[in-house]
Amino acid sequence: MDWQVTFRVFRYKQDGAPPRVDSFIVEVSPDEYVIDAIERIWAEQDRSLVFGQACHHGACGSCGIRVNGREKLPCSITIRSVTVDRGTLMLEPLRNLPVISDLLVNMTPFYERMERVHFTPVRIAEPILDETSGRLAADVSPALRYENCLECGLCFSACPIAGTDPDYLGPAALAAIARMIEEPRDGVDVDALRRLADGEHGCWRCHTAFECSEVCPSGVDPARSIAALRRKLTGEGLDRLFRAGR
Amino acid sequence: MIPAPPPNKARLAWLVQAGSGLLLLLLLCLHLIANHFVVPGGLQGYADVVRYLSNPLILTLEMTFLVAVTGHAALGVRAILLDLGLSQRAGRNVSLVIGALSVVAVAYGAWLTSRVIGGLR
Amino acid sequence: MNVERPHDLTYQVAESRRVVNWLDSRGRGLGMWAFVAHRITGIGLVVYLLLHLVLLSILAQGPDGWDSFVALARTPVFLALDVVLIAGVLIHGLNGVRVALTGMDFGLRQQKPALVGLAIVAAVALVYASIRIVAG
Repeated sequence: MDWQVTFRVFRYKQDGAPPRVDSFIVEVSPDEYVIDAIERIWAEQDRSLVFGQACHHGACGSCGIRVNGREKLPCSITIRSVTVDRGTLMLEPLRNLPVISDLLVNMTPFYERMERVHFTPVRIAEPILDETSGRLAADVSPALRYENCLECGLCFSACPIAGTDPDYLGPAALAAIARMIEEPRDGVDVDALRRLADGEHGCWRCHTAFECSEVCPSGVDPARSIAALRRKLTGEGLDRLFRAGR
Repeated sequence: MIPAPPPNKARLAWLVQAGSGLLLLLLLCLHLIANHFVVPGGLQGYADVVRYLSNPLILTLEMTFLVAVTGHAALGVRAILLDLGLSQRAGRNVSLVIGALSVVAVAYGAWLTSRVIGGLR
Repeated sequence: MNVERPHDLTYQVAESRRVVNWLDSRGRGLGMWAFVAHRITGIGLVVYLLLHLVLLSILAQGPDGWDSFVALARTPVFLALDVVLIAGVLIHGLNGVRVALTGMDFGLRQQKPALVGLAIVAAVALVYASIRIVAG
């Protein structure tokens, strides 16, 4: 049975007018995804609605928005998971990034950070184990897979420090540094990345609000990466201190 | 010879902040117990306070507490201000000003204590 | 490398709002609420520290000044403020332990249960302290 849901959508056009909120009543199946409803609003009610979308299955990170204040990929959440019949949904663009129009933000500041830390989206996959022995499977070459990070920017939007310090690297970039250190890639200066993470706008700027890990749709757990980075950097610093003078 | 690494300000500030915070838990408990539970009814009269601060152990506790709490508070305020994305120069100035205010606060507390112990001579 | 700069007409939160962006807890998780509470109690405790140092200067006036102040400090308004102070100390102190440990990847997986547990400890301690303060 179809539900009737009111979508309150943040609207902004580069026409000099301040942002506003428009309401759209949409008949939806509760098992449809939020992105389906957004597309139906665009197709049937307002062709000027601007939003991001691509893969429709949580693999590209293009559609990131805030749903009822919380960062989500609307292609991966059903209507019934975020509202009820005759309920209301608030849709807003991601935080901490410039809004181009409506629900679409300019991801450049985010991508610049990922480029700065030389994030490489391909990594060595977890070792393949023999099902019977539980040991490494013989004659199997290490496989490659994509990193968990989709570069969707949800963590950057959720981070309270990214909202106040414009130079803060942010959770995704710091988690990427942790991965680059854990698995060095050709041509990447790992020591330079260590210094970046150890700097004034690196991992020490994090205040462990854990919002990044709360909203990550892809299992990156940036909060854990940042904490582990701190531990590693502190351990290495102490080690260098004790070795100095010898 | 392996040279000592240059001190990393960001890391040092965080570690001192966390370390002083953990130390403060102990010092604060001792401060509260000594002020309110050792003397029956707690420190009330002026004479109680003078006697209390004249104890070398208490004096050491209170001075350590003052330094730790002022340092922790200063680093906390510094972190909040640096989070606002100040320029490098402004950030350095913030650190200097907060550092100077902290020294003044500790010096004032120490002076006040010495006045009280010395019987306001 | 040619990097496209944000369009001049993009909507961005005003600089003045950026200063208090960290207070925006709408739709946020427990960890964010803990961060906001930690920061607000921290600022409150800094104000208290400065006030405390200033008030202690009454000691420099000798017994008369001090004893008058102690009489004032036992009035209901001051005692109520003492309860608020204890609440602030408990929230900031206990959450601080959680932040210091999880921030170094000690017990990070248990940060939410730890937060709930510490909140319960703080509530019990606050009730006990309030009774002691009010009962004199």
